[in-house]
Amino acid sequence: MKNKRKSLIFSSFGVLILVMLISLLSNCNVSNEIKAKSGAQLWGENCLRCHNNPSPETFSDVEWDVAVMHMRIRANLTDEEAKKIAKFLKTAN
Amino acid sequence: MKIISILSIILLFFSVNIYSQNYDNQKFEKMNNDIDSLKELIKPGKSKFLLRGYSHSGIVITDENSSFVGGSFNPIFIYKQSDRLMFESELEFELEDRNLNIGLEYANISYLLTKSLTVRFGKILLPFGIFVDRMHPAWVDKFSSKPLGVGHGGILPGSDIGIELRGASYLGSSKINYSFYVMNGPRLNEGDEEPDEAGQLHYDNFPDNNKNKAIGGRLGFLPLSNSSLEIGFSGMYGKVGSGNSQYADVASKLYAIDISYIQNLPFMQSVLDVKAQYSGVITDNANYRNYDNLVNPDAVYTFTNQNSTTFAQIALRPAMVNNKILRNFEIAGRYSDLITPEGSKWASNLNQWEFSLNYWLNWRTVFKLSYRTTEGETEHTEGAESPLGKAFFFHWAIGF
Ligand code: HEC
Repeated sequence: MKNKRKSLIFSSFGVLILVMLISLLSNCNVSNEIKAKSGAQLWGENCLRCHNNPSPETFSDVEWDVAVMHMRIRANLTDEEAKKIAKFLKTAN
Repeated sequence: MKIISILSIILLFFSVNIYSQNYDNQKFEKMNNDIDSLKELIKPGKSKFLLRGYSHSGIVITDENSSFVGGSFNPIFIYKQSDRLMFESELEFELEDRNLNIGLEYANISYLLTKSLTVRFGKILLPFGIFVDRMHPAWVDKFSSKPLGVGHGGILPGSDIGIELRGASYLGSSKINYSFYVMNGPRLNEGDEEPDEAGQLHYDNFPDNNKNKAIGGRLGFLPLSNSSLEIGFSGMYGKVGSGNSQYADVASKLYAIDISYIQNLPFMQSVLDVKAQYSGVITDNANYRNYDNLVNPDAVYTFTNQNSTTFAQIALRPAMVNNKILRNFEIAGRYSDLITPEGSKWASNLNQWEFSLNYWLNWRTVFKLSYRTTEGETEHTEGAESPLGKAFFFHWAIGF
């Protein structure tokens, strides 16, 4: 019983380290095509994957800051993507 | 004389010009100062807040009756405390059997640990498949009712309390996202309270019924550089029986495969949206008391506790046509099924089709006209509980 719990904790820990390694490794590995994307393009590609594409004029700058952070977490955006999309929404609103 | 007067006019002209330039400069500087002090006044602090949410209601017409339904109001509170710290919560106010039900859909804190890793604590919508955390709000869902397998009478987990790590990274031009969590986990219905549901899993497990925590996660792959395709694999494992009962070692395995695809179709001036998910829930076999056996109160029964549910949907919206009315229409079709264990008191084998014609007033306000037909076998065949038969819906949903 105790051993089982131990192995569960160990395997959880293993997965955790794996996930962290993947994320560390892969961030050095972003292709130039992805790096070159503009905020508008990222908005056009990402923000309609779950719901209709939100129009920039919906919110003020401050509101977009909060909404984009909300979506960064919900939609698993990278730091770079979230920053570019927020900047685009705040200039196009 | 002439020269002197011409010179003095030129001089006058320049001095007026210099004066007015000075005056303009002064005015400009003052305006700048005014703007700066105004900015000081309305300068947003680091802590920012959004009160959003959605509401929906509608009318349902079945073979037997018609009724206005829904009337749900879901406020969402989002607090961005700093560039790394956020809190989100959704409440649900819903009318059910003439009573007002209030539910806490989720309430959790997120902290951005690194650029590609976020930790979340609290009650979260589980990233198990895609329906619950991505499609459940009525203004996101393209249909008037939920697919089989989700919600009341379904087998899929909704939310749970625990800790989650999530994030996303690129591998070249492909993207992966990941979530890994430790939660209270599902609770087994052992049959003493609701004998007709013995063997079912419940996901409102707090406080936890045992010491064991469920672990699970989801890995999503977005192989195309424009992120239009995502394939996800989810899994969850945990003991589900009460710690000190004969069910202490009963465990459940849950798994799901999901796919999402969004594509612009220039030749149809439309956007195509495809989403599908297959999920399985397998619980260890156990003996449950047979309360129907009045002769022998100790009689037990058992069954192979395997469940599965699928949904697959497709939607088409001519979003790129010039006609302002036409481009707001959308057609959508969805198949879903649910298989629960034969031999249990909640055995069913159902399949359902739903078709919807939607009109989008804006990106988060929609009118849905839907037709749904459900066939198959189920223990709950009578009254409002029965999912069988045909139904028409006219629903509206607004996100705000
Ligand atoms: C993974 C799916 C998904 C993606 C991708 C996504 N959203 Fe959302 N979005 C949601 C869901 C689900 C909600 C509803 C939140 C709720 O009810 O819990 C939502 C809600 C919103 C809202 C309403 C306010 C709020 O924060 O709840 C805004 C604004 C929004 N999204 C903007 C965006 C933008 C901008 C993007 C692109 C960066 C985006 N979304 C991408 C799933 C997604």
